[in-house]
Amino acid sequence: MTTTVSASGLSLRYGATRALDDVSLRLTPGVTGLLGPNGAGKTTLLRVLATAVPADGGAFTVLGQDPGTAAGRQEVRRRLGYLPQTPGFHPDFTAFEFVDYVAILKELTDRGARHREVRRVLDQVDLSEVRGKRIRKLSGGMRQRVALAAALVGDPGFLVLDEPTVGLDPEQRMRFRELIAQAGEGRTVLLSTHQTEDVAMLCHRVLVMAGGAIRFDGTPAELTARAAGRVWNSTGRDPGAKAGWRTGTGSFRNVGNPPEGADLAEPTLEDGYLLTLDDAGVRAGVAA
Amino acid sequence: MSAVLEEAPVTERTAHSGGATSATLDLALFEARRLLTRIPMLLAFAAYVAWIVWRTPKFEDGFPALQNADRATQSGPLLVGLAVMLCANHAVLRSQRHDTERHFGVLVLTPGRRTAAHVLSVVPAVLLVAVGVAGQFGWEALRPGAVGTGSVAELLVGPLLVLLFGAVGVLLARLIPSGFAVPMAIVLFFFLFFAGAVPTGTGERGTRWLAPVVGEMSSGAIPSDLMDRPAAWHALYLLGLGLTVGLLAVVAGGGRGWALKGAVAAALALAVTGGVAQTSGLPAKTVVARAAATNNPEKQQTCVNRDGSTYCSFPEWQPRTATWASVVRHVQSLAGGRAHTQPVLVRQRIYATDGLYSDGAIDPSANPYQVTVGTGWGGNRVPEFSAAVSSVLVAGSEKATGGMCDGRMVTAMWLALSWQPDPMRSLRDVRLDDSVTGSAIVLSPTDPLQMTAGQTDVVRELLAKPQQSVAAKVKAHWAELTAPKVTSARVAELLGVAAPKEADKCD
Repeated sequence: MTTTVSASGLSLRYGATRALDDVSLRLTPGVTGLLGPNGAGKTTLLRVLATAVPADGGAFTVLGQDPGTAAGRQEVRRRLGYLPQTPGFHPDFTAFEFVDYVAILKELTDRGARHREVRRVLDQVDLSEVRGKRIRKLSGGMRQRVALAAALVGDPGFLVLDEPTVGLDPEQRMRFRELIAQAGEGRTVLLSTHQTEDVAMLCHRVLVMAGGAIRFDGTPAELTARAAGRVWNSTGRDPGAKAGWRTGTGSFRNVGNPPEGADLAEPTLEDGYLLTLDDAGVRAGVAA
Repeated sequence: MSAVLEEAPVTERTAHSGGATSATLDLALFEARRLLTRIPMLLAFAAYVAWIVWRTPKFEDGFPALQNADRATQSGPLLVGLAVMLCANHAVLRSQRHDTERHFGVLVLTPGRRTAAHVLSVVPAVLLVAVGVAGQFGWEALRPGAVGTGSVAELLVGPLLVLLFGAVGVLLARLIPSGFAVPMAIVLFFFLFFAGAVPTGTGERGTRWLAPVVGEMSSGAIPSDLMDRPAAWHALYLLGLGLTVGLLAVVAGGGRGWALKGAVAAALALAVTGGVAQTSGLPAKTVVARAAATNNPEKQQTCVNRDGSTYCSFPEWQPRTATWASVVRHVQSLAGGRAHTQPVLVRQRIYATDGLYSDGAIDPSANPYQVTVGTGWGGNRVPEFSAAVSSVLVAGSEKATGGMCDGRMVTAMWLALSWQPDPMRSLRDVRLDDSVTGSAIVLSPTDPLQMTAGQTDVVRELLAKPQQSVAAKVKAHWAELTAPKVTSARVAELLGVAAPKEADKCD
């Protein structure tokens, strides 16, 4: 399969903090999820791959270009779509103007073609009806879709999405899932999120980060499989569990190393994620 | 059943056809559209157009000298310039204000080019002001009473000011990323201006030319070839300054490269060249030419004969001789005796020694029946010239009118004013204090005349009577009415109105 992004030994320090610690990865077309607790280095990794900040060490290529050189960086930016965490907007702009503005900054210079492209991506994110509305008058979900349209404009080969569903209600999140799935057809999408169900439903691959390093790199099924035999139900919180919580049925769901004869339960991707963090020495348990 | 046709995404080939330069221009256009629709810009342009519409018809009483009309286009664009500075600054700071830099920072167009686009975005405003300037000047030039020649360099000052102010707005945003920088800069500018820290200079040339707009003390006009304002150097200075500031903004915005450095150096060279050249001293040949025009104007003038009288003017004022002749004709038609057909010499005289930097008095001519006319016309200038013609016809020369403290003043003023469309208004206009009662100074192209309160009363009464009945009496008693030392009381008696309560005051 084509490798879109290839990184080896990426590192970055902010003072005494090691934000990225020898990160190596390869990304291929499709949606790759990036999970990790706050401060794990997800946004830093995304910003490095999006050429927003340079790494201290290591090397990487995006779509065959080396962002370490000025020319390579420009080429990467030409083919990159980036939706930052809590994106900013120009509230006085209409949705069309904002995406058009981004399209110009992406050097889409044929005016007619650019406007067609802006209409296409607004249509793709289902905002055709409100494209003439000022952004300040759009709902939070609509604004997020404007940001996604801005990331999609110009048909980028590599799409970086940093927690795009934060703050959205379930219906909006569902709609966003559709859009991201659609965006992942034929291009490489790196999706940073705290929503494990998004990863479970969207991603063909998942990375788990903690402490600036990649702690897991595999398929969602493989991450889920990490919790096989390590999730059980009990009538009370098992003191030996890494994490445990009372469920709606009144029983407790425990994650960790089950006692003998435990009533094992079907693991989820979230269980695998929690155990991966725990294995990495990151406290991520949930108390009842 | 319906079919959904999905549009194909823009491909690399079609999307990036023009590259960075094309994208910079596209962004400049985008920003320009937004800039022109900001509320301060709309208000500034509305005020600018209103200022043109209000000011142009009144300029130089509808008889503009185009060498002054060009300069009159320079102050209006200041308001637009300030609005451009404010809005361009606001636009540059938009990304910071709304935290879009994290996103835009990874897009293809570099911050330097984005800054360049902001600088270029002021160009349409510059062009609109150029249209305003052209409209204002064109309006003046098309007026039937327009004379003289305008300077393209003077006309460029307004648009170049807008370019400079816009560039300053962008540079300030790059240096001080705060929305308060421009308002503070404007306040500081006015504070320094009123505190006298902005160069005003002490002479016609010199440091005052470093200010963006260089006005003149004199409200009059002189022939365009005697003005010798370094307008072209000043335009070059402003252009160089605007480009330097704009290019420095691009550098401050992250622009790099030898081409940019070279452009900054070239722009700076333009500004320095224009700045130094405009402040250099006045050429000696201009000084000589001005002295000649002041002291011996006949050598530079052309004369025409109309109705037996001669009208000599600087070449640019030739079209106006017919208007002067009309006044002479009106006054002479009411005069009696020899004055009715007396040929006069109307000579245009100016004080050009200091250019437009200051005004000077013109001495009355001692030549018989020679009347001085200035370069201005329309409004008060018409009754003033009419008073000069009538007083010369009554007294014999301009020099002699200085002693016209007696009843001749009544005859002269009636001759000067009675043919005017609104004689009472002309009486008010021709008097320094705009009064129609009491004593007052009467303005004239040379030395002013003096009317006593009694003479004013008699003139006012005469102007209220039918013109032809008074004219008949003036013609009938011309010799006595124009005899030296005739009293105002006697004049009143001869012309059939009440005698003044007070006697003439001849010291």
